[in-house]
Amino acid sequence: MIRSNPIAESDRVPPTGLAVVLVREIAARLATFVATGEAAAIDLRSLPMTDGDRRELETILGQGDVSAILTVAGTSEIWETAISGVWWVRHRSVDGHVASEEIVVAHVPDILTTQPDDARDSLARLRSLIENDGAAVQSLRPLDREFAGQTQGGQ
Amino acid sequence: MTIPSTLGEVLAQQGVSRRALLKYSAYVASILALPAGASRVIAENLAKARRQSVIWLSFQECTGCTESITRSYSPTIEDLIFNLISLDYHHTLMSVSGAAAEHAREAAMRENKGKYIVVVDGSVPVKDGGVYSTIAGQTNLAMLKATAKDALAIVSVGTCAAFGGIPQARPNPTGAVAVSEIITDKPIVNISGCPPIPEAMTGTLAYLLSFGKLPELDHLGRPKAFFGETIHDRCYRRPFYDKGLFAESFDDEGARKGWCLYKVGCKGPIAYNACATLKWNGGTSFPIQSGHGCLGCSEPKFWDQGGFYTPLAAQAGVSGELVGTAAVAGAAMGGAAAWIARRHQRSHLAEVEALDRSPPAKSKG
Repeated sequence: MIRSNPIAESDRVPPTGLAVVLVREIAARLATFVATGEAAAIDLRSLPMTDGDRRELETILGQGDVSAILTVAGTSEIWETAISGVWWVRHRSVDGHVASEEIVVAHVPDILTTQPDDARDSLARLRSLIENDGAAVQSLRPLDREFAGQTQGGQ
Repeated sequence: MTIPSTLGEVLAQQGVSRRALLKYSAYVASILALPAGASRVIAENLAKARRQSVIWLSFQECTGCTESITRSYSPTIEDLIFNLISLDYHHTLMSVSGAAAEHAREAAMRENKGKYIVVVDGSVPVKDGGVYSTIAGQTNLAMLKATAKDALAIVSVGTCAAFGGIPQARPNPTGAVAVSEIITDKPIVNISGCPPIPEAMTGTLAYLLSFGKLPELDHLGRPKAFFGETIHDRCYRRPFYDKGLFAESFDDEGARKGWCLYKVGCKGPIAYNACATLKWNGGTSFPIQSGHGCLGCSEPKFWDQGGFYTPLAAQAGVSGELVGTAAVAGAAMGGAAAWIARRHQRSHLAEVEALDRSPPAKSKG
């Protein structure tokens, strides 16, 4: 699993201490989640973090029991940290760069659950397969493999 | 096959799952600095929205803005925006189509009257009736007025369209002006930068589609989500500024150690943009990270604000000296320096504008 930004001069810059501050914020969000069930997310890309800060935060939070790879419009890496209820969600674009990165405090990050519209669409495709006696097998490949390979500028 | 009426249906037909839309929405919410939970709302709103007609006009420009938004490498999650809009006309991309392209623009205007968005890159020359830049025999000035007339909103991408940019630099031989100096009766969003950050352009369009309104803008008409803070405020070298550690030249110890570039001309303290967080080339780097000071390209008159390698403190008068003093003062002065830098920016702009008012005067046609 790739877990660092490529080519960064800021790699050589030592951690600024931001990770330690963030841990306090995560603790506050987790406390709210435990008390009320209210989920939360902290957007890491909006913060002036160096890669050193990221590595430090990853080290502090650790690796928990669950990790998942999402292959939709690029690869996403999602794992529960050693702190239960605190998830690291890193969305990569098709070309591998980090498109968004956040700490999610929740039972499960929303994007891991099956989306109702996708389930409805899949049901329609499955029924079509049954009606066509297997002729539509080709259409059952995961939808977003097509998106990942398509060119820009659809009209 | 039925004709899709909503973006959700369009995307489903194109093989884009709702989960992909949710991932895109997480990305949009992130770059727009929206609160947690907004990505779900964005995904739901986008799924219900209609495909947005966009007409892209290219005037006095270098094509850098189009290059920035389209880029040349593989499709990325950001490029999903191209599935959400109908780019009915793009002057640069469609130039080989000649009259057919112009017919497409006119058809899009007729069919989407009052609903289409006009994106403009490049400034508009107005001197001598605007003869210095024409498309299909029509001056940029005339085309802008005609196309903007029935538009829902205008998005000026790049510093040229937003503020006049390089074509407007002294002595401004073509009388180049910003779009907002010509169109005064339509909502206008300025996405400045030379070029603008692609995410600022696509994010603004995504916001428009998701919420049906313009994002919150600053006093220069720029989305606060991208232009709410200075490069300096978000720079990873800021701690060195706060400690009073500066590179004095591009090859000294300070430069090698990655210290603050303020003294070698960095305009980060007066440049409002998101380069320090969103970065460039797929989040790889940004000028300061590559060892060069910020040019302040997202600010009005950036080309005429003195040398790129001249420290802000040495550029102009008393206000500049104050900034220099604040810089040396270090950590305790961080907030004050930012305030002074903003004041310096306003004062410096006033000086530049005063120079522009002196001969040779620019014609407004």
